[in-house]
Amino acid sequence: MSDKKRLNMWLVLAFAILVLFVIFVVFPLGLVLYKSVLMEDGTISFDYFVKFFSKKFYWSTLVNSFKVTIVSTIVSAILGLIMAYVLRSVKIRGSKLLNILIVISYLSPPFIGAYAWIQLLGRNGFITRILNAIFHTQLNGIYGFSGIVLVFSLQSFPLVYMYISGALKNLDNSLNEAAESLGCSVFQRVRKIIVPLVTPTLLASSLLVFMRVFSDFGTPMLIGEGYKTFPVLLYSQFMGEVNTDEHYAAALCVIVIAITLVLFFLQKYIGNRLTYSMSALKPMEAEYATGIRNVLAHVFVYLVVLLAVLPQLTVVVTSFLETRGASYTGKFTLENYRNILMPKNISTITNTYLYGLAAILLVVVLGVLISYLTVRKKSFLTAILDTLTMFPYIIPGSVLGISFLYAFNKPPLLLSGTAMILIISLCIRRMPYTIRSSTAIIGQISPSIEEAAISLGATERKTFLRITVPMMMAGVLSGAIMSWITLISELSSSIILYTSKTQTLTVAIYVEVIRSNFGNAAAYSTILTLTSIISLLLFFKVSGRNDISV
Amino acid sequence: MSVAIKIENVVKRFGKDTVINGLSLDIKPGEFFTLLGPSGCGKTTLLRMIIGFNTIDGGRIMIDGKVINDIPTNKRNMGMVFQNYAIFPHMSVKDNIAFGLKNRKVPKDEIERRVDEILKVVKIDHLKNRMPQKLSGGQQQRIALARAIVIHPEVLLMDEPLSNLDAKLRTEMRNAIKQIQRQVGITTVYVTHDQEEALAVSDRIAVMNAGVIQQVDTPKNIYQRPANIFVSTFIGLSNILDGTLESNDNGKAVVRIGDYRFQMNNILKESGANRPVKVSVRPEEFIINRETREGIPVTVKNSVFLGVDTHYFVETREGQEIEVIQNSDLDELIPDGTRIHLKVQTHKINVFNEDGSKSLIDRGVRA
Repeated sequence: MSDKKRLNMWLVLAFAILVLFVIFVVFPLGLVLYKSVLMEDGTISFDYFVKFFSKKFYWSTLVNSFKVTIVSTIVSAILGLIMAYVLRSVKIRGSKLLNILIVISYLSPPFIGAYAWIQLLGRNGFITRILNAIFHTQLNGIYGFSGIVLVFSLQSFPLVYMYISGALKNLDNSLNEAAESLGCSVFQRVRKIIVPLVTPTLLASSLLVFMRVFSDFGTPMLIGEGYKTFPVLLYSQFMGEVNTDEHYAAALCVIVIAITLVLFFLQKYIGNRLTYSMSALKPMEAEYATGIRNVLAHVFVYLVVLLAVLPQLTVVVTSFLETRGASYTGKFTLENYRNILMPKNISTITNTYLYGLAAILLVVVLGVLISYLTVRKKSFLTAILDTLTMFPYIIPGSVLGISFLYAFNKPPLLLSGTAMILIISLCIRRMPYTIRSSTAIIGQISPSIEEAAISLGATERKTFLRITVPMMMAGVLSGAIMSWITLISELSSSIILYTSKTQTLTVAIYVEVIRSNFGNAAAYSTILTLTSIISLLLFFKVSGRNDISV
Repeated sequence: MSVAIKIENVVKRFGKDTVINGLSLDIKPGEFFTLLGPSGCGKTTLLRMIIGFNTIDGGRIMIDGKVINDIPTNKRNMGMVFQNYAIFPHMSVKDNIAFGLKNRKVPKDEIERRVDEILKVVKIDHLKNRMPQKLSGGQQQRIALARAIVIHPEVLLMDEPLSNLDAKLRTEMRNAIKQIQRQVGITTVYVTHDQEEALAVSDRIAVMNAGVIQQVDTPKNIYQRPANIFVSTFIGLSNILDGTLESNDNGKAVVRIGDYRFQMNNILKESGANRPVKVSVRPEEFIINRETREGIPVTVKNSVFLGVDTHYFVETREGQEIEVIQNSDLDELIPDGTRIHLKVQTHKINVFNEDGSKSLIDRGVRA
C-alpha cells in the first residue's frame, strides 16, 4: 500500500533522470554516430573513415597526437613521481605553499600555459630575446612538438604528483624500516619497495594524463603551429572557415570516442589488476636531510615548481603591462583591467560565475540523487542509470560540444546559442566525477542510520532530506568547490557552444589570444587564477584537508 | 499494556536462497526474549522481519493478534537499537532522542519532558546538549537505547547492541539494559551470538541454527538440559562421547562408555535399550578418580591453572581429546602423562540419540 507508493517515488525519480540522460547524452552521441556513416545522398557507408585513414594529411594528425601524448605522459609521470617522493621523504622549506602552487598550476587550463610560454619562449618571447641578444643567435622560439610537450608536461605532472603523494601517504613506514633491517640501501628501497607499491597509482594517473592530453585542443592550436594534432583537425573540420564538413567531423568524433574508450577500459583493467590496499598506521615522514642531498632536493623541487607556476606568474605580470597590439610598451598600467571590466565586457565574468554556479547546483542535486539511487535503491533501472551517467567520463569536451550542436540546433529542442546549452554541457561533463565522489560518501554512511530514522517513524522522503542529505553535505560541498574550479576553466566544449552573448572567461582568453590582444587575455587569466586560488583556499577550509585528490 | 508477538510459519527468501523456512515463535508480553545463534543463522533476518526492514515472504507476524505483515516500518511503533548505534551524527543528543517524538507530532513541552525523563533513566542527562561524535561507545549506546524507548514502542528490538563495546563496558551495559528493560516493561527481542550475554539478560532464549529454532527455553534449562547436541555444544562447552544405552527398565537405565558403566534414573522410558547414544558431559561434570580403575581411562596431556579452577586436557585410549575442569585445591596439579580415570556426575550429564538430534533425558524426573 503506502509502502508501494514510496517505492514509486524513487522509481519515478530514477526514470525522470534516465530520460534526461537519454535526451542529453544518448541522443546527441547517437546522432554523431549516425552522421558519421550517413552520406550526403542518404546512403550508409564508412567512406569518411576510409577518407581519414587513406590520406596522410589526416591520419598523420593521429600519429602526431600519439607522439606528443606519449612523450608528455612519460615526462609527467617521471616528474610527478620524483616530486612526490622527494616531498614525502625530505623536509623541504615551505612545502605547504609549494603544494598549493602545484595544485594551482594544474587547475589552470592548459592553453593558458601555451600562451604564456609563447610570451616567454616564443619567436618574440621575453627569454628568447635575451638569449638572442647575449649569444647573437636567431632562435625561433619553442613551437611545434617541443612546445606542446613542454606545456603538457609541466601542466600534467601535478596530477601524477597528487596521486602518488596520496599513495605514499598510505604507505606504512614500517615497510621501509623492514626493508632497511633486511639490509636494503636507500636506492634499493626505492626501487624494490616504493616503486612497485606505487606502480598501480602511477599507471592509473598516467592514463588520466594521457586522456586529458590526448583530447586537449587549445594547446596544440596555439603553440603547435604546423604541428597539427587530431583535436586540432577535429576543431578545424567543424569550426574552420573553409572546408567544414560536419559528417566528416562526426566521423572524427567517433574515432576519438573509440580511442578514449579503449584507454578507459585499459585503465580499468590495469587498475583492477594491480591495486594493493594499504592503510598506514605510521606514514612515511619527511626528514631533514643534510649536505648536498638537502641542497639538491631543494633546488630540484623549487625549480620544478617555478617552471610549473611560471605561466601563471607571466600572465599576472603581463596583465599589468601596457600593450600595443601584440607587443608591450614596457610601461605598467591598469588599462587591461579597465578594458575587461567595462560594462559591455563585464558579462564575460558574470557569465562564467553564473553558468558555473548554475551547473554546480544542477550537478550536485542530480549527482546526490543518482548516487543515492544507485547505491541504496539498486534495481535494473538504476543499473542502467549508473552506466549511462558514467559515459560522459570518456567523451572529450569538444566531442560533447559538437554533438550538442548537432542535436539541439532545431526545434523542438532549440538550445544552441543559449546559456542553457553551456550550463547543461558543463553539468554533463562534471557529472561522472560528482557521482563518483557522492557514491563514496554515501558508502560511508551506514544504512542502519537511515533504518533508525524510519523505525522512529520518519517517512523515506523525510529520512533522505533530514538524515542522509545533511550527513553528506560536508563531503558534497567540498566536492562541489572542486567541480566549480574545474568548470570555470573548461574550454573545449564551451569554445564550440558559445556565442558573443554567452562568452565565458576561458573562451574570452582564447579569443583574445587569437586576436593577439595579450593584455586583455592576461587580465582575464589573472581573474580566473584569482578565482581558482580563492576557491581552493575555501576548499581547504571546508574540507579540513591540506591536499586534494581529483 | 505490554504486547505479545506471535510469529507463524514465516518464510524469508533472498533471491533463490530460502534463509528461513516456516519458523514459528511465541513471545510473551513484557518478556526479554533473545535470539541466539552463530552468525548467518538467520537471527538478524528474523529481527528485521519483525521491524519491517525485511519483507515477510510467507506466514505472518502478529502483535497482540493483529497481523503486521503489510504495515510499513515507520507505522509499526517499534523501537530498534542497532549494532553500530546508528546515532545521527549531525544532531545533538537531545535532538537524536527527540527525533521519533517529533515524527509523532508530540507537543513541544511534552517532548522536552519525555526527553529529560528518559535521559535520567539511561543516566546520561549531563550529556543532553552535546554532539554525539565525541562520546564514548557506551554513551552512544545509551543514547540509542533512550531514542528507541522514548517513543513508547510496543516492541523493543536490539541487534547485537553490545558487540562493538569492550569487555568491561559490555558487562556494565548488559546489566543496564536488563535493568532498564525491567523498569520500562517493554516486550523485547534481543539478537546476539554471545551465549554468555544471552544467558545473562534473557527471560527466555531461542537458539537458532541454519534458520531453524533448536530450542526455546529459560537460560538455565538451555544450559543444563539442551534439546540436542547443537545446543549443548553451542552453549558452553560439552565433551561428546560415544556410548551405549544398555538397559532401561522402571526408570533405571544403564549407560556404558567403553568399559565404564553407570546408572541413570532420568532417561525417557520410550528410549528403548541396547542402542548407541551420544553422551554429552560438560568439563565440570567429570569426577577425577585416581584411587580405583572405575571410569574412562585417560592420560593427562596438559594442565592450566586458572585460579578458581584448573583445566586438564586429557586424551582417551581412542585418541579423543577431553577437557576437564576441577575446582582448584591445595594439592599439587596432576603431572602431565599421568593415567587417571574419569567418572561423570550422572544427574547432570545429558544423553542424546545417535545422531545427536534429540535428547533422551526425561525432564519430568528429578535426577
